[in-house]
Amino acid sequence: MTEHIMGQHGDLVLRAEDVAVSYRKNAGLFNPKKFWALKDVSFDLFHGETLGVIGGNGAGKSTLLRLLAGIIAPDKGRITHDALNISLLGLSVGFISHLTGRNNAVLSGMLMGMRREEIEGKIDDIIEFAEIGEFIDEPVRSYSSGMRARLGFSVAIQADPDILLIDETLGVGDARFAKKSSRAMRQKIKSNKTIVLVSHSEKMIRRMCDRVVWIDKGVTRREGDTNSIMDEYMESMQ
Amino acid sequence: MTHQYLELIWYKTLSELRAESAKGYIGFLWWIIEPIIYMGVFFVIFGMVFKKGGEGFVPFLLCGLVAWKWFSSSINNSANSISKKNAGIMSQVYLPKYIFPTINVITNTIKFLVVFAFLLVSLMLAGYMPTMAWLALPVLIGVQFMLVLSLSWLVSSIVPLFPDFRLLLANIMSLLFFCSGVFFDISKVEGTLGFILKLNPVAILLDSYRTILIKGEWPEWNFLAVALCVALVVLWGGSRILRRYDRIYPKVLI
Repeated sequence: MTEHIMGQHGDLVLRAEDVAVSYRKNAGLFNPKKFWALKDVSFDLFHGETLGVIGGNGAGKSTLLRLLAGIIAPDKGRITHDALNISLLGLSVGFISHLTGRNNAVLSGMLMGMRREEIEGKIDDIIEFAEIGEFIDEPVRSYSSGMRARLGFSVAIQADPDILLIDETLGVGDARFAKKSSRAMRQKIKSNKTIVLVSHSEKMIRRMCDRVVWIDKGVTRREGDTNSIMDEYMESMQ
Repeated sequence: MTHQYLELIWYKTLSELRAESAKGYIGFLWWIIEPIIYMGVFFVIFGMVFKKGGEGFVPFLLCGLVAWKWFSSSINNSANSISKKNAGIMSQVYLPKYIFPTINVITNTIKFLVVFAFLLVSLMLAGYMPTMAWLALPVLIGVQFMLVLSLSWLVSSIVPLFPDFRLLLANIMSLLFFCSGVFFDISKVEGTLGFILKLNPVAILLDSYRTILIKGEWPEWNFLAVALCVALVVLWGGSRILRRYDRIYPKVLI
């Protein structure tokens, strides 16, 4: 069903046109100030590709992912797409520390749009991947922050939306698990999935992305072939 | 899609109840002990200090308090449901915002049903035997559920946009408490004032519980219909606001 709606490899699946997003700063009747996180962003996303999003701190990358996930609406411009669901690879979404790991895994998965049966069916894989073992039936409040992050990632990686948004700058557990999780992420990215990837790692972007959008202070600066844009981007950073 | 959200609401409700009972040493016993303490306070003040009512005042007060507590706890909890408490979830996934107050309402409804069952048992022990009119209880509870849900949606939709409304809400709730006849009988208030008080949906509900449980008579259906209509109108209004600002709320909270 997804294939039929999403069309063939290379078809346009999402288009952002002159998108702008503002946040209220110092909200109050007498002091309404707006802060524009995105001012003018446009790009296309094609079926099956991995699109990298690059830009310095505060360029608006996280806001862009939230916008694409449908969490917030643009103030100006528009986003059109024909995907059934677009979602962010969120970590430990909605964890409640007094509940067991198992309970939290199911809850977190459901918040990310999975069905209860689906997660319960995958729970053994989740436990194994997260290296949680017996602790799965202990309350999450007794977990170390690493265990918590591992469980969060293992649940999140199970989600299978039509368009997956990944913010690779979010850290995951200790160095060893970070390797494992980035391997799992790479596997997702390499599959024939449509992906938008935010990363600070030049290597990651060059290796993973088919195309790149460069956002500079809320405005699209360039969009196109990965290597040529990365060269230009790295040069501008000098 | 909707079925998925219902599943989520139910699972999250159970999770929150479970988490809550895992917090204290005596766990879910608090659901019963806390209302008993709450009612005890009112009993001491109105029954013993002011020596109000006399014969039959305790069951009268309890019927009102149990229903009022369901109403006020739901609305007070829902007021903060689209806020910092759930900001983590709202900034990472898209969910229709009615889900958050609805979870609070169902959580409080389950607690109410536990306490209400205790109330029924206590009433029977005190000699108030069930009559045919008790069959109207599910309808009455259904109407109150709709009213609680609708006001919770409305309140939760306003607070993130105007945080100051929370302060106002505390006062509105105390006004409503005094106008709803929790500790006095509104049907004894005469004239126009009595009629106006009787148009308050909460007062109608509290009065209906007493009519059924204490007098053993059928409730006044036309007044219950008024309460239901108010609930439906408010529900419509609340859902309009929630939908209108669906993708704006996360921006306010981030």
